[in-house]
Amino acid sequence: MSGELATWLGAATPNGSPAWLEAWRTSARERATALGVPGSKQEAWRYTNPRRLFEQAFDEGAAVLAAEALAPLLVEGLEADRVVLVNGRYAPEHGRLGALPEGVRIDSLARLLAEDPEAVRPHLGALADDPAALFPALNAAGGADGLVVLLAPGARLERPLELLHVTTGERPTLAQPRHLIVLGEGAEARLVERYVGAEPSIAHATNAVLEIDLAAEARLDHERIQHDSAESFHLSTLYLHQQARSRYQGLNIGLGGRWARTDINTRFAGPGAECVLHGLYLSGDGQLIDYHLDVDHAVPDCTSVELFKGILYGQGRAVFDGRVFVAQDAQRTDAAMSNRNLMLSERAEIDTKPQLEINADDVKCSHGTTVGQIDPQMLFYLRARGIPEASARRMLCLGFAEEIIGRLGDEALRAEIAALVGDRLEAAPLD
Amino acid sequence: MLSVTGLRANVGDKEILRGLDLRIGPGEVHAIMGPNGSGKSTLAHVLSGREGYAVTGGTASFEGRDLLALEPEERAQLGLFLAFQYPVELPGVNNTYFLKSALNSIRKARGEDELDAVSFMRLIKEKLKVLHLDDSLLKRAVNAGFSGGEKKRNEIFQMALLEPKLAILDETDSGLDIDALRVVSEGVNALRSPERSMIVVTHYQRLLDYIEPDFVHVLYKGRIIRSGGKELALELEQHGYGWITDEGAAA
Repeated sequence: MSGELATWLGAATPNGSPAWLEAWRTSARERATALGVPGSKQEAWRYTNPRRLFEQAFDEGAAVLAAEALAPLLVEGLEADRVVLVNGRYAPEHGRLGALPEGVRIDSLARLLAEDPEAVRPHLGALADDPAALFPALNAAGGADGLVVLLAPGARLERPLELLHVTTGERPTLAQPRHLIVLGEGAEARLVERYVGAEPSIAHATNAVLEIDLAAEARLDHERIQHDSAESFHLSTLYLHQQARSRYQGLNIGLGGRWARTDINTRFAGPGAECVLHGLYLSGDGQLIDYHLDVDHAVPDCTSVELFKGILYGQGRAVFDGRVFVAQDAQRTDAAMSNRNLMLSERAEIDTKPQLEINADDVKCSHGTTVGQIDPQMLFYLRARGIPEASARRMLCLGFAEEIIGRLGDEALRAEIAALVGDRLEAAPLD
Repeated sequence: MLSVTGLRANVGDKEILRGLDLRIGPGEVHAIMGPNGSGKSTLAHVLSGREGYAVTGGTASFEGRDLLALEPEERAQLGLFLAFQYPVELPGVNNTYFLKSALNSIRKARGEDELDAVSFMRLIKEKLKVLHLDDSLLKRAVNAGFSGGEKKRNEIFQMALLEPKLAILDETDSGLDIDALRVVSEGVNALRSPERSMIVVTHYQRLLDYIEPDFVHVLYKGRIIRSGGKELALELEQHGYGWITDEGAAA
């Protein structure tokens, strides 16, 4: 078993690391080894068998990317500061950071662990505390770097921060970045996280972990765009912790990867907080896009919205596994979870399971799922105006997606995503 | 322009059109009237190519082409326009993008250049004025959340933009109050020209006070049982459909 996991568990911690870091990594390594490769009999893996991921050999990959290879991966017109990670490692030569305001720290996790470990010690692994989660444990054991954003109370990022993660290499590489986003009381930021692959035909793997801690009244707008190359494996696990009256707006766009699994675990720790999770995924031939949401209303008076929309074509598959948990004393919880799917093919498959688990009596909670096809009346309306059938179908799909795309924070990103979705649909088989 | 001969069509097992004949020349406005269930909307849908109707007999030629062999988009590109009785809401589909796609698809099919953004906007603002529609309409999703009157005006606005050779107005007056009816009718009348023909499908004579037809046909049980000038509509208004359907049923 540990043979399969060897690449993932990584090399030993560098000499001279603090003892606490050493202990944390060792414990993660032991936990991952004990958990082993999960089988599809386990509930969390009912829909997917990760075994094939561990049958593949990966290189660690060098953190090297030529400037001319980066250029085509950028979003034209996106006005943002930028941090680039290559194969999980911070690549400062590609970054574009202006002068940071007082109370703002944006840095490489590896660098901080080497030079100022106490700055990250309270946050590293503080939220990623699920003992049964294999991939976060592998990330803790084998990951070496990532992005750290620390905002002091009241601090504010003037411009959005783009975190661009690139996997690259002639052979499959494994990247395991860990990002820590910590906003002090009343701090505000917008983070645009993008995952892309430099080579379309190589099966790179990414196993990212994010730990996001929002203090009281902090506010984070977080756009996550997964556009890894078609053959790749993408795993990402997000842990979000929200104190009183904080606001988190997350927007998840899932386009790429052969298998892309995203786990989002959110927990309210103070009343009056709000968490909005929107998502859009597109899954075509040979693809599996897999979302798992776990929203924990542990305290009263919090609001959460979960709306994920999917477009499936060819033999595409997707999973939406969402759970809202309302604790016994979490009165006046307001939660609405829904998952809507547009199936363009009879061969496509969606497994959708939105669940509510309510233990309080004074709550407003709803959940729902729809799985449907393109409305023939809508299609006829467009065709009756002279629009050819294939274009009309694309327009309706983009119309379906617009509810999510329209929420992206700026026009450059909206145009980029609409174009990516449009291009994919244009190439999609009609059946 | 349009020549329909012996047209028969079914919905499921039920025969709705039972040998319908209709000839429309350039610039003519024909009203098609008839009681509920007589086949008025079916005729509009069969001519525009909607799915769900099986043509079992007869022919329809438009501009010298076999209309019934064409896809709906090909009919539109050839110059046929259906103003829907119930315009469909398209959430998330931006109106401007939709209008531009429609206009450019039709222009392209006709071998004309696609309009650039500036010329398109100039054209569209000009047409909006005719229908007393606000610019804000362009930013909205197609028909989404529109009132009944807005939807109908939007249909005629699209007709003004696409400049069809033959427009079929399917119960355009239904659900309109008197002010909206006047605006819509003025829009339609502004589009009358010696080259543009229209089929006005309506249950009531009221619309024909505003859009004056050259010919009136009474459709009953899937056939045209009486044709005449505009005075036929007035007679129907006075005597009701029973006046001729009894004759038609007897014939």
